Amino acid sequence: MTSETKRQWLMALVRDGFGKSFWWFFAFALGMGVVCYQLLGPQAFHEAVRADLGLLADMLPRVIAALTVAGMVWVLLPRDRMSRLIGKESGFRGLVIATAAGIITPGGPASAYPLLAVIGGAGADRGALVAYITSWAILGIQRILIWDVPLMGVEFSLTRFLISLPLPILAGLIARRLPLSLSLMEEVQPDPVGSISRPAANTETHRK
Amino acid sequence: MISVGMLIIFGAPVVLGGYALSRQDGSFRQGLVRAVEQFVKLVPRMFCALVAAGFVAKLIPSEFISRFLGDEAGVTAIVIGSVAGLLIPSGPVVAFSIAATFAKAGAANAALIAFITAWTLFAVHRVVIFEIPLLGFSFLRLRLLSVILLPFLAGLMTMGVKQALAWVAVS
Repeated sequence: MTSETKRQWLMALVRDGFGKSFWWFFAFALGMGVVCYQLLGPQAFHEAVRADLGLLADMLPRVIAALTVAGMVWVLLPRDRMSRLIGKESGFRGLVIATAAGIITPGGPASAYPLLAVIGGAGADRGALVAYITSWAILGIQRILIWDVPLMGVEFSLTRFLISLPLPILAGLIARRLPLSLSLMEEVQPDPVGSISRPAANTETHRK
Repeated sequence: MISVGMLIIFGAPVVLGGYALSRQDGSFRQGLVRAVEQFVKLVPRMFCALVAAGFVAKLIPSEFISRFLGDEAGVTAIVIGSVAGLLIPSGPVVAFSIAATFAKAGAANAALIAFITAWTLFAVHRVVIFEIPLLGFSFLRLRLLSVILLPFLAGLMTMGVKQALAWVAVS
């Protein structure tokens, strides 16, 4: 990478991180803070801020770890084999595989969403994508063990798990039938950031 | 269990990174570049969303809502549970402590399951922090339309199973 392309890459990174939607987020956070301060008083406000900062400090290492995993998986994954497992032609079996994968994916949204972007880029079918993330959300085994069981009890957790078991597959079937256009982020934005890492990745697919 | 989860979360990048490095074909570097790109895309938004979520969670009147979630409210309780789950813009700490509050206040299982399902599916913070930056609006639209009925369905199925069991016990 020459220093000029490197500079462009950094500029694009900053533009990406602090784009228009960032400022919407920022304004929303500020607005909610004002409402909270006005309605509940300074003490509740400080409590909320302290809890948020603690949560952020707690999440950052996990986000870094999860994004590293997603980045490596993105480079290393044998994409042709993936798309056979959960691609357009994978049928009902693809939905079952996606659901099972969602159940066992460890970690919070910081791991699941980057992985979803990876399999989306690898040519997974829309039904499988929806089934995977739905399954991770409602059936994810890690969340059930850490949150459901201790706070709601074993019997409740088991009931919820069994009742919800067919739902991701149902969601995947619905997703396949919805007449909506789908363009994933990866394809939508051929920005300078992407173009640096993408050609190399393509050669990697050809190499296989 | 938490420690095993942590082990996987922090062990996986080391193992995968080591493997990528050992291939010596630039995979490691490409993987890192992608990780940095996504990190920059996520973290500033994540920061704002987390702070906003903390404030919103304080503003939600959970004790008030829990009064409408009892067994006698039937299908209405399922609807209220689903909508309440939609509105929690926060992680499992807040969502599950609210669910536990509801449970203590005598909420029906069907309403609780609808609530948790709705929260896991629609958690606003997760959508704005991760889903929109990484997958985009067209995926969000597809997913929301695909799963919109699931919380009601989960609640109704819970109610149905309960009534079936009660019926079996009586006859």
